[in-house]
Amino acid sequence: MKEIMVHLDRCNGCLTCSLACAAAHSSSGTIVGAMLEGIPGRIFVQAAGSRPVPILCRHCEDAPCVDACMTGAMQKDPGTGLVSNEGREQTCVGCWMCIMACPYGAIIQKPGEKKLALKCDGCPGREIPACVAACPNNALVYEEADAFSEERRRKAASTLV
Amino acid sequence: MRYVIIGNSAAGIKAAETLRKLDRGGLITIISDEPGPAYSRCLLPAFLAGMRNEDELRIRPENFYQRNLVDTVFGKKAVKVETGRKQVVLADDSRVEYDKLLIATGSSTAFPPVEGLAGPGVLGLRNLADAREILEYRRKARRVVVIGAGFIGMEAAYALYRRGLEVTVVEKMPHILPLQLDRPAAEIIQRDMQAEGVRFILGAGVREVAGPSLWTRLFGKTGRGVILDNGDRLKAEIVIVATGIKPNVDLVRDTEIKLNWGIVVDQYMQTAVPDVYAAGDVAETEDIITGIVCVSPIWPNAVTQGAIAACNMAGRPRLYTGLIGMQNAVEFRDVPAIAMGITQPPDGSYEVLALHRPERNLYRKLVLKDDVIVGMILVGDIGQAGVIAALMRKKANARKFKERILKGEFHHGYLQRAVS
Repeated sequence: MKEIMVHLDRCNGCLTCSLACAAAHSSSGTIVGAMLEGIPGRIFVQAAGSRPVPILCRHCEDAPCVDACMTGAMQKDPGTGLVSNEGREQTCVGCWMCIMACPYGAIIQKPGEKKLALKCDGCPGREIPACVAACPNNALVYEEADAFSEERRRKAASTLV
Repeated sequence: MRYVIIGNSAAGIKAAETLRKLDRGGLITIISDEPGPAYSRCLLPAFLAGMRNEDELRIRPENFYQRNLVDTVFGKKAVKVETGRKQVVLADDSRVEYDKLLIATGSSTAFPPVEGLAGPGVLGLRNLADAREILEYRRKARRVVVIGAGFIGMEAAYALYRRGLEVTVVEKMPHILPLQLDRPAAEIIQRDMQAEGVRFILGAGVREVAGPSLWTRLFGKTGRGVILDNGDRLKAEIVIVATGIKPNVDLVRDTEIKLNWGIVVDQYMQTAVPDVYAAGDVAETEDIITGIVCVSPIWPNAVTQGAIAACNMAGRPRLYTGLIGMQNAVEFRDVPAIAMGITQPPDGSYEVLALHRPERNLYRKLVLKDDVIVGMILVGDIGQAGVIAALMRKKANARKFKERILKGEFHHGYLQRAVS
């Protein structure tokens, strides 16, 4: 199963991933359209000290957001491995329990009237997620969790959770 | 293997799902006193408010039970567990045999010892039947009194307010959400709801709920009087009691299963009797922050406990490593809030950091002990709450981060950069 991997050392904080994500989730499909529609990106480039860090959903195996969801909207698809609160009979009510549960801070409140939790949906229907396709520095890659990244994920996981 | 689960909500459903994943051939039966498929109790206020219909309360698709090959015994109350014969006795005297049993019976409204609470129009809000009954009364009601400004009380109050009723919330403590929030946080939420039109009477207990007098009944009126400590009399056609809950443990009384307030379980969610497990509102677990063993009646913890109990029932040992007992997220009207852990420290040995901007409906509070975060309140801006919660669960030293967290400038990137 392919996942979005981050090479931190290659990220220069250009925000292209976040803009591409917003565009991909807008009805126009363009960056300008997304800005006009007020669609936020679902990947967040944060500054830690002077260094940029892209923050995105890890689609956890035992996802805490899934356990926290009290409507049943947030589920991990057994086939694709993607964790999402969209596209099911059960719908999100915007109770923010998932925001309280996510140890990565990868879920946000959708701006606007309707309460809705917003997170990476893994870009279903696209061969490569929009953020990865747009990254000019190859800081984001879409690949199998090989031994190297497995090791890195373990390292990252040991700092939290 | 015959797995039997008593309870068809957060813990029970997650347990059934997990059992089916781990044991494809096992027989799974869910027993519930409620007649229908699993729904979210947390969504009952949305149902009361008219924002969701009954179908939209379901937490799983309709074919969930068939797809997971789960037998259902619905609409029958389990009244007794006979641990010796490994049988569950139902209200109609029929019996269900088990090899492994999960008790996930949840909790119900605890009515305080106040006179008059047994009358018509005085209701709790704990299950779908309660909610339907409240909506029945609503047809002829104009005024509602909610006793108790905890989560359920506040949710019920706002939901019925949205239905166009006049709502008054009566709370014994000096501020709303007294278990979760401190005063500054509570005041922001209260002001937000007051602006909309909900009325609050704080620091007042209820002495009695009086029925309609003969005189008023003669005129066809049904209103009841809620008489406060100080003698004030509020009038209402609906009284909602939301002063607390009690775990549903009647079915294991006088058995070998050890009871405290809730059911006592070990770190594998197993009760004092082998092969009998408990999870959800009914089980007592240790709070990782306070070390106190108590029931933790919140949805996420029930689900996690259900999963862990199921793993152990299926012979895959998994330890319950401790969750934060008190953690809640709310947004009644416009201001979201998340509270977790020890939000009102009991003595001066804690460090308290707070940032209070009431004019912007913003409040952040961190409670630390020896630089470890043991409690937090976020009002207005709830972003990154889960990252802070993870620091709390891990008991991480937050000396380097605490000021940044207080200012709302903390995120997971700092932790990633720390390891890379």
